Amino acid sequence: MLLEARDDEETVVFTTTAASVQVQVEPVGRWYEAYVKRRNRSTSTSFQELEEEEESSEEEEDEEFQLEEYPMLRTLDPKDWKNQDHYAVLGLVHLRYKATQKQIKAAHKSIVLKHHPDKRKAAGEQIVEGDNDYFTCITKAIEILSDPVKRRAFDSVDPTFDNAVPSKSEGKENFFEVFTSVFDRNARWSSKKHVPKLGTMESTFEDVDNFYSFWYNFDSWREFLTWMKRKKRRLNGKHERRWIEKQNRASRAQRKKEEMNRIRTLVDTAYGCDPRIKKFKEEEKARKESEKKAKADAKKREQEEKERARQAELEAARLLKEKEEEEAKQAAQQAKKEKEIQKKAIKKERQKLRTTCKNWNYFADNEADSVKMMEEVEKLCDRLELISLQSLNEILASGSKDDSKAAVEKQVQEVNAQLQREREAEVQARQAARSAEQASGGGGGGGKGWNEDDLQLLIKAVNLFPAGTNARWEVIANYMNLHSTSGMKRNAKDVINKAKNLQRLDPLQKDEINRKAFEKFKKEHTSVAPTVDNAVPSERFDASGTDGNTAAWTTEEQKLLEQALKTYPVSTPERWEKIAAAVPGRSKKDCMKRYKELVEMVKAKKAAQEQVAAKSKK
Amino acid sequence: MAAIGVHFGYTCACVAIFKDGRADVVANDAGDRVTPAVVAYRDTEQIVGIAAKQGRVRNAANTVVKVKQVLGRSFDDPETQAHKAQTKCQVVNKEEKPYYEITAGEHPEYVAPEDAAKLIFHKMKETAQSALGSDVTEAVITVPFEFAHAQKRALREAAEAAGFHVLRLIHEPAAALLAYNIGQDCSSGRSHVLVYKLGGTSLSVTVLQVSGGIFRVLNTHTDHSIGGESFTQALAQYLATEFKRTFKHDVSSNARAMLKLMNGADMAKHSLSSLGSANCFVDSLHDGIDFECNVSRARFELLCSSLFNKNIQPIRPLLEKAGLSTSNINKVVLCGGSARIPRLQQMIREMFPDVELLSSAPPDEVIAVGAALEAGLLVGRDGLVPEEESVTVDVSTTDILVKEVDESGAEVFTVLLPSGTPLPARRHHTLSGEGKHSSLRLEIYQRNVMEQPEQLAKIILRDLQPSEKNHDIDTVVTMKRDGSVHVSCVEQNSGRPEVITIAAAS
Repeated sequence: MLLEARDDEETVVFTTTAASVQVQVEPVGRWYEAYVKRRNRSTSTSFQELEEEEESSEEEEDEEFQLEEYPMLRTLDPKDWKNQDHYAVLGLVHLRYKATQKQIKAAHKSIVLKHHPDKRKAAGEQIVEGDNDYFTCITKAIEILSDPVKRRAFDSVDPTFDNAVPSKSEGKENFFEVFTSVFDRNARWSSKKHVPKLGTMESTFEDVDNFYSFWYNFDSWREFLTWMKRKKRRLNGKHERRWIEKQNRASRAQRKKEEMNRIRTLVDTAYGCDPRIKKFKEEEKARKESEKKAKADAKKREQEEKERARQAELEAARLLKEKEEEEAKQAAQQAKKEKEIQKKAIKKERQKLRTTCKNWNYFADNEADSVKMMEEVEKLCDRLELISLQSLNEILASGSKDDSKAAVEKQVQEVNAQLQREREAEVQARQAARSAEQASGGGGGGGKGWNEDDLQLLIKAVNLFPAGTNARWEVIANYMNLHSTSGMKRNAKDVINKAKNLQRLDPLQKDEINRKAFEKFKKEHTSVAPTVDNAVPSERFDASGTDGNTAAWTTEEQKLLEQALKTYPVSTPERWEKIAAAVPGRSKKDCMKRYKELVEMVKAKKAAQEQVAAKSKK
Repeated sequence: MAAIGVHFGYTCACVAIFKDGRADVVANDAGDRVTPAVVAYRDTEQIVGIAAKQGRVRNAANTVVKVKQVLGRSFDDPETQAHKAQTKCQVVNKEEKPYYEITAGEHPEYVAPEDAAKLIFHKMKETAQSALGSDVTEAVITVPFEFAHAQKRALREAAEAAGFHVLRLIHEPAAALLAYNIGQDCSSGRSHVLVYKLGGTSLSVTVLQVSGGIFRVLNTHTDHSIGGESFTQALAQYLATEFKRTFKHDVSSNARAMLKLMNGADMAKHSLSSLGSANCFVDSLHDGIDFECNVSRARFELLCSSLFNKNIQPIRPLLEKAGLSTSNINKVVLCGGSARIPRLQQMIREMFPDVELLSSAPPDEVIAVGAALEAGLLVGRDGLVPEEESVTVDVSTTDILVKEVDESGAEVFTVLLPSGTPLPARRHHTLSGEGKHSSLRLEIYQRNVMEQPEQLAKIILRDLQPSEKNHDIDTVVTMKRDGSVHVSCVEQNSGRPEVITIAAAS
């Protein structure tokens, strides 16, 4: 509760307030954002007007705005309100579609203050009673312009708007003079704000591109509502009304289409005339040309390079080969020469040995001994190498008779021993070969190799076709040939022999075979296990984006697929798309894959049946 | 537009999304709304979250916990050294920066704390995106008030490396206020709010002033030595002695058994916040002996009573330093998981008997929700400068008052414009005077904190028409950024105005 003022008191300021200080605050929250926005713009200081900030900035403009009195206002006929210019009535001719709601309201207010019948009456004017006063026109004008929908409709058919589209010939000559104003004029129909400007000759490619893509995708708010109002209220019948509505709709669509066409023609014309587009196209062409040329050049160069490299390589290979051949030839000649020399030497040595031995009378006393010795010496001559012959000759030349005899005999003994050894080795080898042959003959009948797999297969086949089967061993042999991995052909006889052999085998061998089979099995299966740990862990999938559903096919899906396959025969166009649509959760790819699998399965089944049938015929 | 708010704490991280005008916490793939901020390194993969925390029993050397403690700090920082002493994971010095030595693979690897944080952020992003179903990256991330610039930068970089587009880093207490919509519904007036955050390893108490919807931190206190883990530790110690009493085995030297016991105690502690008693059961704790023990809430409170006291103590000195008393506080916000403990809530209530205690939202999610709300405010706004975490604004230093009399005739002062209001500001009041008077006097005063008010000006309204009804006077007080005041009064019936301008002292 405030106090009463005393008589002598005056409004007075005593002192100053404390200055503000700066503090740190947390940059969070709605009010902080509002505060910063306000500070950056340095506009309204009040909290209350925060929401209407935009409008308040318009208010500032209002101060400059003036109303232009419409001179014909007083002569307007309210009955003809449909044809009046509402902007003119409110004195907003100079603003038209640019006028804001605020401005319209303000204009209305000021005009009502001036022209309201009551005011005029007070000023002593004559007033026409009822709706016939021109004030009704003002009411209508504000009614139309204050309603955004009605106003838009009115704006759309604004009689002052120039719908004209400049022709090509006009545009060709002074493109920018002609089209800048046209585009600026038409920009008002854009639903989007910030319509790009036509620009100048110096505009960048991006700007020009942006400009034309905007205009080609032009989204106009222009519409033609007022046209549908004709005669509507005179119609009573439901059907008639509907018919009229339909007509209206059609004509509206038509008008809209015309409008779109108009814009389209405008942009097309502009695009065709735009010297910049021409310039860009030429530049692009030149660029492509040069690129192409550069590419071709590069390719040519590359090819040449390759050819040269290939030539060089071939040359090098040829040279190398020639050189090698030369060397080989030389080496062969050398070897031949050496061989000849050696042969000659050996011949000489042998001759020497014979003569020496002869000189010593073969170290023998009687004839028989000498003959035997002669034989031995001949043998020595045959068997001994060049070096040992030489050394022997040296001993013979230097030593006495006894020494020589001893040396020769020693050599003879050695040679004999060697001969003996050779002979023994030969015998042994022959024996070994024979025994090996025997062993193999014992193990596998018919001499054909039987490996583990085949043995397994044979056992299986024997069990599969029990005694009593028609032409049992032929069938088994056939089966073996079909399934064997060794690729060896076997006839019935082979198989019988082997089978009998196996039967005869002692249980030990059987055990061995079984064990081997088990080991093999184990090896196959354990080799899989360790890979599990190293495997890539499964990823989480987003439901979308994966190609193909790899999950197994359920019976329902299978049924659906079969049904679909029947419904859409092979001749159906886009058969697989339709089938995929019939099977929910499966793509086209999945269905095709599944179908292929099914076909394979059916084929395999048939083949097996045929085989069986053929067998039974036999 | 959707946006994400992330609270990246010392022990836990929580993510909330802002969508369709609402902010909601998102549960992670394990179904928990809060994800432990633990990263476990294995030879082939890195695990974040509850799995990593539970696997710590076996893989303690390669599990990074509380990475936020070393984030953006140098190796010689005492905090880093404390962390090094505490954690089981090897911390090494590389170019003055701390690095974790991870020996999961064949060769030891060196992981920067930023990389571990990145993994956690990545997890949070995945969680948010799975809930949104789209690629939203705009996020607001909370930081503790005491974080230095380098730490904030490290956190921001880690988040950006994880693929977030960081709209802004905001302080945790401010986020908590946002979550409860404090000061955001009504802009006028001024209030003081205490944010009590008791997390896993740290206690932080902050007192904020809210005026004109803008938050200002007056004072804050942080203690890294106390938190939820201290309670768990105390409970685990008790359980260990119980085990020793029953089975005559001492487990306190067995690190793995202690970790198991900690996990069990943690679970029991959580149950005790809602139940009167909880059963703690640990399989083969020591020598294959299973351990089972029943703990009542009373027992738990007894065990932790000294810790509770330690938690409450810092509040009073903090308020005193800020020049406030408990009666000045208008609201108390509880956040952090440990603020769930009933005894603690009770103690705070005793300290602030007639203050609104805000704990309706799950306290460990509040900050993330606040961050998401802020993200929702900022997302889609262009020209968003990478704002510093604190901004200075002009505020008024004195209360602007008007002197009135109450029914009994005693003088009272009504605050027209409180101190601490961000400037420029405008306040509108309707004052009233008795209808029988033909003139009224408005005396404008200013008051600096608790000093005696000083008269600034008086406004006289004359020639009023006396009537039965009271005179209503519209008063608009406007203060400019320099502190000068403009007061305009209009008597509603007669429309008689009176305007004064009081200049500011320079």
